[in-house]
Amino acid sequence: MSRLPIIIACVFVEFLPLKAAPLNFSQDIRPILSDSCYNCHGPDKKARKAKLRLDDRSAAMESGVFSDGEMMARLTSNDPEMRMPPPDSNRVLSDEDRSKLVQWLKTGAEWPQDDRHWAFVPPVQPKIPEFQSKWEGNEIDAFILRRLKKEQLTPSTEADKATLIRRVTFDLTGLPPTIQETLAFINDRSPKAYDKVVDRLLASARYGEHMALGWLEASRYADTDGYQNDRLRYMWVWRDWLIKALNDNMPFDRFVTEQMAGDLLTDRNFFTQVATGFNRNHRINSEGGSIPAEWIVEYVADRVETMGTMFLGLTLTCSRCHDHKYDPIAQKDFYRLFAFFNNIAEAGLGPNNGNSPPFVTVPKSWPDLSDEEAKFVVPEPVKIKVVQTSVPRPQSGAPNTVMVLHELNQPRDTYLLNRGQYDQPDKSEKLQPATPPILGTWKNNWPRNRLGLAQWLMDSKHPLTARVTVNRMWQHHFGLGLVKTSENFGVQGEHPTHPELLDWLATEFIRQKWDLKAMHKLIVTSATYRQTSVIKPELLNRDPENRLLARGPRKRLTPYAIRDTALFTSGLLNGQIGGPSVKPYMPPGIWKSISNAAYKQDKGARLYRRSMYTYWRRTIPPPTMMTFNAAEREVCIVRKDLTTTPLQALVLMNNKTFVEAARFLAERALRLRITEPHKRLEWVFHTVLSRNPTQDELEVLVADLNLYLNDFTKRPEDAKKLLMVGDKKVDANLSASELAAYALVISTIFNLDEAITQN
Amino acid sequence: MNALNEIYEQHTRRAFLERSTLGLGAFALGSLLSAANEKRRNAVSGLVGLPHFTPKVKRVIYLFQSGGPSQMDLFDYKPHLASRYGEEVPESIYPAERKTTMTSGQKSFRCAPSILKFAQHGQSGVWVSEPQKHLAQVVDDICVIKSMYTEAINHDPAATLFQTGSVNPGRPSMGAWVSYGLGSENSNLPAFVAMTSNGRAKAGQPLYDRLWGAGFLPGRFQGVKFRGQGDPILDLYNPAGVTRAQRRRMLDSLNKLNEEQAGRFNDPAISTRIAQYELAFRMQMSVPELIDVKSEPKHMLEMYGPDAAVPGRYAYNCLLARRLAERGVRFIQLYHRGWDAHGNAPKQVSTQCDGTDQPTAALLRDLKQRGMLDDTLVIWGGEFGRTIYCQGKLTAQNYGRDHHPNCFAYWVAGGGVRKGMTYGETDDYSVNVTENPVHVHDLQATIMHQLGIDHERLTYRYQGRYFRLTDVHGKVVRDILG
Repeated sequence: MSRLPIIIACVFVEFLPLKAAPLNFSQDIRPILSDSCYNCHGPDKKARKAKLRLDDRSAAMESGVFSDGEMMARLTSNDPEMRMPPPDSNRVLSDEDRSKLVQWLKTGAEWPQDDRHWAFVPPVQPKIPEFQSKWEGNEIDAFILRRLKKEQLTPSTEADKATLIRRVTFDLTGLPPTIQETLAFINDRSPKAYDKVVDRLLASARYGEHMALGWLEASRYADTDGYQNDRLRYMWVWRDWLIKALNDNMPFDRFVTEQMAGDLLTDRNFFTQVATGFNRNHRINSEGGSIPAEWIVEYVADRVETMGTMFLGLTLTCSRCHDHKYDPIAQKDFYRLFAFFNNIAEAGLGPNNGNSPPFVTVPKSWPDLSDEEAKFVVPEPVKIKVVQTSVPRPQSGAPNTVMVLHELNQPRDTYLLNRGQYDQPDKSEKLQPATPPILGTWKNNWPRNRLGLAQWLMDSKHPLTARVTVNRMWQHHFGLGLVKTSENFGVQGEHPTHPELLDWLATEFIRQKWDLKAMHKLIVTSATYRQTSVIKPELLNRDPENRLLARGPRKRLTPYAIRDTALFTSGLLNGQIGGPSVKPYMPPGIWKSISNAAYKQDKGARLYRRSMYTYWRRTIPPPTMMTFNAAEREVCIVRKDLTTTPLQALVLMNNKTFVEAARFLAERALRLRITEPHKRLEWVFHTVLSRNPTQDELEVLVADLNLYLNDFTKRPEDAKKLLMVGDKKVDANLSASELAAYALVISTIFNLDEAITQN
Repeated sequence: MNALNEIYEQHTRRAFLERSTLGLGAFALGSLLSAANEKRRNAVSGLVGLPHFTPKVKRVIYLFQSGGPSQMDLFDYKPHLASRYGEEVPESIYPAERKTTMTSGQKSFRCAPSILKFAQHGQSGVWVSEPQKHLAQVVDDICVIKSMYTEAINHDPAATLFQTGSVNPGRPSMGAWVSYGLGSENSNLPAFVAMTSNGRAKAGQPLYDRLWGAGFLPGRFQGVKFRGQGDPILDLYNPAGVTRAQRRRMLDSLNKLNEEQAGRFNDPAISTRIAQYELAFRMQMSVPELIDVKSEPKHMLEMYGPDAAVPGRYAYNCLLARRLAERGVRFIQLYHRGWDAHGNAPKQVSTQCDGTDQPTAALLRDLKQRGMLDDTLVIWGGEFGRTIYCQGKLTAQNYGRDHHPNCFAYWVAGGGVRKGMTYGETDDYSVNVTENPVHVHDLQATIMHQLGIDHERLTYRYQGRYFRLTDVHGKVVRDILG
């Protein structure tokens, strides 16, 4: 095959391999066909034009467009009547992709017999490339190095120890290491020093909290119902369950099964029942006047969508209104999945505040339940009471309840809904629960309910669940997944950069009996992860997103970790784990200004809990979290773009939490036995950034300190004002002007790029 | 450097920043570029190829009236309906399944014609109800659309549809789409600003951050909320006791230390952060000047009415809207609550007008006097209309109205829109559109069109699909364009 001309529109933007490889149908051709052609020539029969479909091998072959010159003519013609995609279709086919298609046609339009999209073929454990150097730490590195060699790149050296412990401590616990932890690691010369750190972090209760966050965002966890008046609900008991399950390292298959079907297990109990709250985290409409039947459909569809994104990496929602435009998921497939979730004993309209049935009462002793209390409870059925003239509301669950799943005795009938509308069922065929045929077979011994669905998801032959899950773990540590589109493994998703590594990790995950901690350990102990994140100039142009991993990850902290780090390093953090959500500082009138609810801020220690416990009002989420790109918690989100805005600078400079934390850390610095300003600042610097400042850095900070000290000595009233920020009382034994000056310098350190970054 | 290289470099730079998700975005790409590039800033900070065609307007001011203003008490005059007072509205006209459960259980659905007086105004003779005295005087500048309709029947989905094109959450708001497509005109202020105010009769139905959110677009395109309480932008002001000189000093040190870090890691993300701190510093200066409405001449404040200088009020927000428009903010979105008139409709509508009519008309006048109405699109309207049948008890002086999606009124004014026009028609009961229906997506398509955007071509790929504001719908309402 002749080499393709490489059209480099812009060397900065496209990562291009050095040498063009021969065209591969699944990797090179189908993504183009899908993106540019499937809208009219794809799986959706209603949208199909000219009876031509290019998603199905035999139909496409039979049409003859590949061999009779028609497709070639349509690709190369400049006649708007002829040219494909039509200029008025808003489909864009880049010159580069067009020439790829032309090239493919010229070379015989090879379309393999087994043309299944890669992600629908169950992963098989690939052969591990032979280790070639001392660099490789584990199997991951063998795959990474093979690709780097192919690209004629070399890996980077290992990050220095201070950087490494900071990186891994953030990734596994969401907090930085303490000075003692950093120094102990630096001084530990044993070859197992790093492994010991990783083991310590995996055993820390902070691990479960931090790992829960991605799950909370994806499962749209919140403290309110999310519509209109945004009534409150009580789901923190489920969050407690989640943190504990992660800390206990519950095997992932069990973890998922309990959440999907903890009420249907033979060994079900109160805890497995609480786990099903996962599928009740969706929004519930309590707006007066809503039509109940309409909203039950929304809740069930939301469960299907969430399952699709989190476990299958598929955009199932596309099939809610019509056959999927790109993936072989028919509209009926959607409603067959829908049927699994359509039997919950729930109400269409939510109550005015409180949990919506089904819910169970949580014993006071939670989470330390007696044997009796730990038994499964049958929830009270829905009891509708009509209020106003005709608003049908169910009974409301009190603060000591938690929402769960519970099956109706008599299942609801499921039909395909035309255009996805609740009032347009296609009554010609009643649909039974079933999974899409493209995603593997259904075993006869699986029950046709959510328990069976969970068994199907966690089956070792399932093409997607393990891949999608390890990919999100990779995303957690490296910033981007091996499949960048971690929410979409379908035909329109991005191909994996390292397909064999992805499959190896997926199969290894299963082989390790779905052991999450073991997988995290595997990743963070790899040489790939441990590389320095310094960007070599040639890599900056070649691979700005670091997809090839010729260096370590450098990424901004999550919004939660940013606030938690300020609290932790200053000494303000209240480390309590679990319990109801808390209400830390918010701007004045945060709720009142646009809603009919008022925010009542907590006092004392509850102001300083980790950010994952901050009360999440869905329609007005905590602004500091949102400014740093948290997910809104309205629908399932597994990936957010991190962008940099001036609002972030304003938060770090001026927000009460960060100003108070700077002042509190200043108090601690002034109480140290050391008294020389530069030594105090050295200590502060190390506390926040896990390393010693350079001489230059220290000089800048000391000069600032002297200047501010001079300012505040002249204007002691300003010093007092600054110290008044926040509820925490100021230590009156310390000099106000000195304290204020230190607080400003510490604020500078909090604002450094490095303070909110994992190098 | 020759021009071609310059364009290439800007293009690649933007593309690179976008791709590496480190972009400066709508806020201020301009700030990174030298003064020589100022003129080309649009092309640089917006998407390549946008606007798609010559725009009619530079900016949009959208006065969203939240709660569902009553069309038959404001614009949709039905003189013949007075004779049907108290009669049952036939089910053939108003089908049961389109009623919300707040009234669907009522035993009767009696006709409640508006008791507010209507008159024709201006040379155009547009019908306007009595409480809108000030709007009546500028009615020759607006185009009333009587034939709006939507599918959503509850506040939350209906408002979300108007602002994001979908009843389900997760999509970008209109302003976010515009700032994504066209970028910013001002390097010291955001491209998209949102402001809220409470109703005078009742505070009103709640609003939600998603209405001005970025959805699946990068977060920097979200509307920046200007607040009526505390700092005008969250955390804008330095903490008490910290001077601007100290802040400058801190930023200088911060830049120095960050630059050292950038030198060590070669990561362009650090340079982006440095630039954003500088922008934050400039905003700290420019926003207080912007919101200093007391610097306006007395007659101007009087024109906007007694609330003009009270932060958080509708009048203040209208005045601020003009000041933002002057400074190049592209999409200015106001939300005013309190139109949800389930009971006491005539009184509630009148009271709402007391708080909004004068400032709204003042804004139109003000823009016109400055020659800005020609390149500004002003939009007025809510998420749906109200029922002709009475909710609750009907008396000669009082009635309530439930939500009504099938027809309601909007008006638009400004660049490229026909003036003194009434568009569309409804049936005798103001229940259904009989002529020239305008769907929510049609209005959105029209707004985009006036900004020079083909609504079908401004797309963003997310979850493998090309999303757009108007979903798969929307037709530009060419009839109302001049």
